[in-house]
This record gives sequence, structure tokens and C-alpha cells, in this order.
Amino acid sequence: MNYSIVRSLILKDWYFQRRAILLALAGGALSLGIVVYGGKPGFTIGLILLVTILVMISAITVMGNVLGERENQTLAFTMSLPISYLEYTTSKIVGNLLIFVPFWLTILAGSVALILAAPVIHGFFAFTIIMAVEILVSTCLMVGVALITESKGWAISAMVVGNVALNVVGYLVAHIPSITNGLYGTAIYWNSTATILLAIEFALIALLLGGTFFIQSRKKDFL
Amino acid sequence: MSDLSVQFEGVSKKYPHFALENIDLELPAGSIMGFIGANGAGKSTTIRILMGLVHQDAGSVRVLGHSMPDDQAAAKLDIGFVSEDMRLYGAATLAWHMDFLRPIYPRWDQKYAEELARRFDLKPQQKIKGLSHGQRVKAALLLALARRPRLLVLDEPTTGLDPVARMEVLGELMAVLADEDRTILFSSHNTLDVEQISDQITFIDRGRIIDSDNKEAFLDRWRRLRLVLPPDGAVPRLPGVVEVAGSSRLPVLTTNRFEPAMVSACNDLGATVQAVDTMTLEEIFVANVHSRRERLTA
Amino acid sequence: MHSDIVISQSDGRPMYLQIMDQVKQRVAVGEWAPGDEIPSIRQLAMDLRVSVITIKRAYLELEREGVILTQQGKGSVVAPNQNLTPQIYHEELSERLDEVARLGDLLGLSSEEIARRTKEATDRLAESRLTKEIV
Repeated sequence: MNYSIVRSLILKDWYFQRRAILLALAGGALSLGIVVYGGKPGFTIGLILLVTILVMISAITVMGNVLGERENQTLAFTMSLPISYLEYTTSKIVGNLLIFVPFWLTILAGSVALILAAPVIHGFFAFTIIMAVEILVSTCLMVGVALITESKGWAISAMVVGNVALNVVGYLVAHIPSITNGLYGTAIYWNSTATILLAIEFALIALLLGGTFFIQSRKKDFL
Repeated sequence: MSDLSVQFEGVSKKYPHFALENIDLELPAGSIMGFIGANGAGKSTTIRILMGLVHQDAGSVRVLGHSMPDDQAAAKLDIGFVSEDMRLYGAATLAWHMDFLRPIYPRWDQKYAEELARRFDLKPQQKIKGLSHGQRVKAALLLALARRPRLLVLDEPTTGLDPVARMEVLGELMAVLADEDRTILFSSHNTLDVEQISDQITFIDRGRIIDSDNKEAFLDRWRRLRLVLPPDGAVPRLPGVVEVAGSSRLPVLTTNRFEPAMVSACNDLGATVQAVDTMTLEEIFVANVHSRRERLTA
Repeated sequence: MHSDIVISQSDGRPMYLQIMDQVKQRVAVGEWAPGDEIPSIRQLAMDLRVSVITIKRAYLELEREGVILTQQGKGSVVAPNQNLTPQIYHEELSERLDEVARLGDLLGLSSEEIARRTKEATDRLAESRLTKEIV
């Protein structure tokens, strides 16, 4: 695989979405401010805002640089470069995740820091991490579906599925006793259930990304 | 045997409403091939298969010595591709595109790119979305030419260009061939362009190659014979006649295997040859397609 | 060397014939003198925006007619002696003259009559050339 071309492709995609990315960063900083300085209500509001921005930025960048190629008819130009499906898929996945993940990590770190700072909610630690990784899973699903189907309809469906899954998983996990027992406690603990859930989520990510590469490699019509 | 820039052997591709069947194509290095076909005949599909963008269902494709589609990344390093349905990034400038491509292609010639911009009357700092159609076509061609490719693949390169721009583009294409190693394949509706600059011509219709030969041979082989028959005369049987038109006493025969001896043969058979018309490539193509479709529906 | 050859798209004749005519005219007028280099096939193709194969054909025919000479790998020049027609035409002329002699003998013509008929033929050719030029 030609790494320097993948790099060129990723930078190109970021260049064309620089405004959306910068806006999202600004919005994220603002929300973090609300969380820190908004007291108790600010905590909830800020967190919701952060998650919303996260979901939106991933949707915008995926729709923009994956679906945008076909919509704007630049796919022929891109595919006429000395690349195969491998470089193309890699650049789209890595390019999108590299926008998403730092953002996501910052929010996660911020949330964890807040949890640790406020003694009453130390117990939220496990729950928060599991849900955060679940958001990552949803995003990988959306990127994969958008790449494979190149269809707005399917990508939006994947987004919806991801969102619903988030809520469903949230509900289910919130009802697992071993996780929720110590939510409002002062002890941060981790247990094997949490580890298993986390492992499943990472396995799903590997499956989704690997599956995307596999299906892309078998595509017979790139245009 | 000369180097073949492009070689298709038995290539087929099936779609729900269209099929490319048994395509054989040979393009020697250093020549230009014009690819003529009606809309939907299969030109674009063939070109996409050549570029590895569509995988054939059967048959082998070799481009610049590489097997397609498996080796497409390596092959495309030496190919410049412009197609009618291709767009550049509207939000960026021509200069941005040049800067983007430069590190990717080892033979990128920045001086040549700037010179082409001058000759094509393009402002590198202008955004692509602000360009007219003709300017966009020229911009795409500039970007393809500046990488000094060994093979240029062009799908309708002069469609939509004004006559002046067309001449400029044809001039640049011919300049590419000054280097004997470079090859051009272009598809076009514009039979005038094909007739003028092609060395080889291939006709495609409804998914099949119906004829492929060098241009001079084509133009030599095809003739219209205007005959005057006596009152009870019959149309003489001549080789390669694909169409008989005109009236019963003044038939016009279209043949694709003309030889000067035919004239005396006609006269011997009692049919006076009033004129022998050469045919333009457009007339040849239309006659070829009509006769083939006629044979299929007969 | 850039050529100053101009071709017309509306000229109904095959392109290679147009090119041949233009070359022959330049030689006849003296613009291209015997021994002068003429544009290479690819150079001319580029200048005129005409396919290489057409120029090749024109040059091939010009060489057969003895107007130009192509040196392997060194391009083409105007043939040094325009009165020197290539061997192939001499041979053909000999063959045809033998044929003329045979036919004349068959018809019972004397050698003077055969010579007279030959002169009539050359006169006809000169006359048709004259008419073309006037037109």
C-alpha cells in the first residue's frame, strides 16, 4: 500500500471540510466550557451538547467526503490516481476516524476528569466508558455502510440504527446490576462484566472495519 | 512485434440492460486510436475496464504491460485519464489541483503545466466552479497532460469545446505523440476529430467491436458507387456491398471492399459507373452501423 | 524545422494527397531545394494536426515518385536530383513499351505508326496538364 498517497488523500479530504471541522472544534470547546462552569445543570446540558456535536461531525464528514465523491462526480478523478480500492478505503476510514477519534477522546477524557473530580458520581466511570466506545462502534458502522453502499439513504439508515443502538445499549447496560450498583457511589470500580462488554465492542469495531475492507476488495464496479 | 500499449482479449461484461461482448483490442505504442460509437454503445464501459475502474467478467486486459484490474495502481502512474463525467473539485483552484498532483506523479512537469495554462487561457488561481464547461475540460486535460503520461485515455475530449479550443486541444494531443513512446486512446462522437488525428480507428456498436483498422485503410476501402443501369438492368453483385440505395435505374452502392477494378467490372456488367465517391468517416460509421443492425433484425 | 504547409478541410481529396501536392509544389517552386531537410513525419503530424499514419503514407508515396528520400533514422530530404526517377518506373516503362510493341505488331502497324501513336499520347498528357493549370 502506498502510504504517501493515502496521506495526500486524507489531507485533501480534510482540506475540503476544514470549515465543518473548525466549527465542530469551536462548538466542542464551548460545550466543555458549559460543562465545567455550568454547575449541575450545566453538566448534563454540556454533555448532551458534546455528544450531539460528536454525532453531527461524524455524520457531516462521512457524508461529505465519502458520499460527496460520488455526488460531486469527483470519484472518477480520485480513482484515476495511481491507487486501488485499498488506498481509497484506507484513506476514507482513517481520514474520518482521525477527525472523530481525537474529538471523541477529548470528550471522553473531559467526562472522566469530571467524574473523578466530583466524588458523588465516581461510579459512572464504567458506564461512561462503555457508552463512549459504543458511540465509536456506531460511527464505524456508518463509515463502513457509506463506503460500501455510496448511498445517502443507506448511510442515513446506518446513522439511525447507530443512534437507536446507542439508546438501546444505554438502557440495557444501565440495567445491569453489576454496573449500576455503584453509580452514585464514591468508589470507582471496574469488573469483569465491564471488561467483557468492552471486549465485545472492540471486536465489533474490528469486524465492521475488516468487513468494510473485505467487501470493498470484492467490488467489481468502482464507478 | 511492436509494443502493445493496450491489449484486450475476449473481454466481456454483463449489466442488467447492456452487455459488452468479446472485446478484442490492440493499441500499439506510439499511435493514436479513435474509438467511435453511438451513445450507449459501450465506449465508456470499455474505457473504464481499461482503467481498472470496472472489473471485466471475462477476458484479459493488459495496459502498459500491467494486468488490469489487479495492477491498476502501478499502471495508473503512467496514465492520464479524462472522462466526460469526471469533475474536478469545484471548491478548489486549478493551482490547488496542480499542487495536489505534483507529489504523486514522478514525471510531473510544472513548467509545462504553467505553459499549458497560458496556452489554454486558464487562470490557475481561479476556482474550478467558476469556470465554463470548456474551461473545465481544458483544465482536466492540463492536469492529465502535465503528468507526462505514457498513455492518455480520453473519453470525449473535445465535446462541448468551441472550435478554437478544439484546435488547441488537438494540437496538444498531437504534441504528446512527438515522443514515440506515448500513446493516446480517445473516444468521440466527433468523427471529424477522429478522422483527422487518429492512426487507428475502432468502431463499437451495442457492446461489440464491429470494425478496427488503420485510418487510411478505412478511407481507402469504403466507397459509394453511383451507377446508371439500362432499363432492364440488374444491380451488379460486388464484394463488400453493405447498402443499396437510390432508385432502380440509378442505384447507389456502398461497399467496404473497394478496388479500382470494380469500376471496369461494373461497366462490363452493363452498369455505367457515373461516379465513385469517397466517404467521410462519419458516413462510413453510419453505414456500418445501419447495415449491421439491418442484418440483425432481418 | 516547422513547415508552412496549409491544408484545407473542405478539400474533398484524401488528406495524404493534399499533403503530397503541397510538398511537390514547394519543390517545384524552389522553396524546398534538392538536398534540403524536410520536416520529420512526427513534426509535420504535429504541425498540421494530422495523424502520423497519413503523413507516413504521403511520404511513402513521395519517395516512390522520387520527390523525396528518406534516410533510415535521419529523417527525410528533398531528393537531390529531381530528374532522377527511381528504378521502379524505368522498369515499368520498359515493360509497357514492350507491350506497346507487341500490340502494334499484332495490329500490323509499322514502327513509325507506333511511334506516332506514342507521340499522340504524350501530346494528350501535356494538353490535359495545361487545362488543369488554367482551371
